[in-house]
Amino acid sequence: MAAAWNSLVNVLGPDLTRIVIGLVGVLGLVQINALFLVWLERKVAAHIQLRIGPKEVGPFGILQTIVDGVKLVSKELITPRHVDRKLYMLAPVAIFLPVLLSFVVIPFSETLQIRDINVGLLIIFAFSTFNVLAILMGGWASNNKYSLLGAVRSVAQNVAYEIPLLLSLLSVLLWCNSLQMSEIVESQSRVWNVFWMPIAALIYLICATAETNRAPFDIPEAESELVAGFHTEYSGMRFALFFLAEYSNMLIVAAVATTLFFGGWKSPPFLGFLPVPGLVWFFLKTYALIFGVIWIRWTFPRLRFDQLMNFCWKIMIPAALLHLVVYAGIIKFIR
Amino acid sequence: MGMIKDIMVGGWSLIAGMLVTIRRIYRPVVTVQYPRRQVQMSPSYRGHIELKRFPETGTHHCVACGTCMRFCPTNVIKVQGEKTHTHSEKRANLYFIDFSHCSLCGLCVANCPTRTLEFSDEYEMAHFSRWDGVVDLIHRLEESA
Repeated sequence: MAAAWNSLVNVLGPDLTRIVIGLVGVLGLVQINALFLVWLERKVAAHIQLRIGPKEVGPFGILQTIVDGVKLVSKELITPRHVDRKLYMLAPVAIFLPVLLSFVVIPFSETLQIRDINVGLLIIFAFSTFNVLAILMGGWASNNKYSLLGAVRSVAQNVAYEIPLLLSLLSVLLWCNSLQMSEIVESQSRVWNVFWMPIAALIYLICATAETNRAPFDIPEAESELVAGFHTEYSGMRFALFFLAEYSNMLIVAAVATTLFFGGWKSPPFLGFLPVPGLVWFFLKTYALIFGVIWIRWTFPRLRFDQLMNFCWKIMIPAALLHLVVYAGIIKFIR
Repeated sequence: MGMIKDIMVGGWSLIAGMLVTIRRIYRPVVTVQYPRRQVQMSPSYRGHIELKRFPETGTHHCVACGTCMRFCPTNVIKVQGEKTHTHSEKRANLYFIDFSHCSLCGLCVANCPTRTLEFSDEYEMAHFSRWDGVVDLIHRLEESA
């Protein structure tokens, strides 16, 4: 084992080894996360609707999603006749890879972070913008009216919601005076950012829900109007990649929210005496946020498209701008 | 000011909605896990018809008059009877219905002169062949004894 490790480090160098091992680990995390979240989503939905949900495969149906995954892998990859072949095949990959890369800078615990870059936050949002491009690729290449409409809606929505999202994060950056994820966590050792700026946290969570195309902002894939939106024409593992990317995106936005607003891997200040590792705190907070997103999905109906856009341009963006100005003033003159 | 009030009221209604759903998570489920557990059918449920068993005689009172057969809008009922001796009353010895065509209108039950027909609480009626929908009511009555 040690010899294999040494030869790997010799061939790739310590930096590249770290990234390769990290990405392999992240790939595993992403798969397990998707399996778990699909199960959690179905269970929560079922209990909110006074049903039981999956229960046949494994204890509490926990193995149901693995069986579904096997089914998806074994399915035929259908390519419709009039699609733009190159883009059609590239889109699932293009939506999944940037998601994977965003995990590179997320601090899972004090020591568990693949790369601690000083523009960490910028990297995450640079990669997550690819999402829009991949959705547009998939929707356009499918040569299908539902796909195209879904893709157009998705792009309009994501571009609009990116603005208040980044504006709300900007006040966090001013507050912590850093883009480096580990420093942002470090600055919250005593009080979490969510207590300093609850409105920014709220704006971030709303925009993140919209960014991940989750209900009540799921109009790009509105089942009742657009079949499945931009991934209508995809089947088998290509569809699974879209699905995987959606659930991994949820993990990323929740992980970023945890890092920026909820103290990252740090324990809550009044529970500091507990011998719980930072990794556990990090995932507890992240999945609590994801549970909130799932809870929202099964509570509220879908918005109409004009309501969605009005909400963003008339309320969210002015609120985020005002918040930024107020906090810049506070930091400049009071702190 | 109106807009801020709208936002506050709307925000509160969202929270109220979320409280409603989170309370549901802890409520007992209302569905029945069907093949393992089954529910008692309500008395107003209409399955296919069957012959009533009267406690005073221990059997049905069908006299094979054929009223049900003539009233049936889809002709799914076939009933035949015989007399055991010259002066005895007629008794049904064959009673078949083809449930696959039955519309459960209930004319047979409503018009039976001896009130010997009723709706069963049978609901597992999926079959592999069209002949499986044919029910032998006399046989059913004998089996249930």
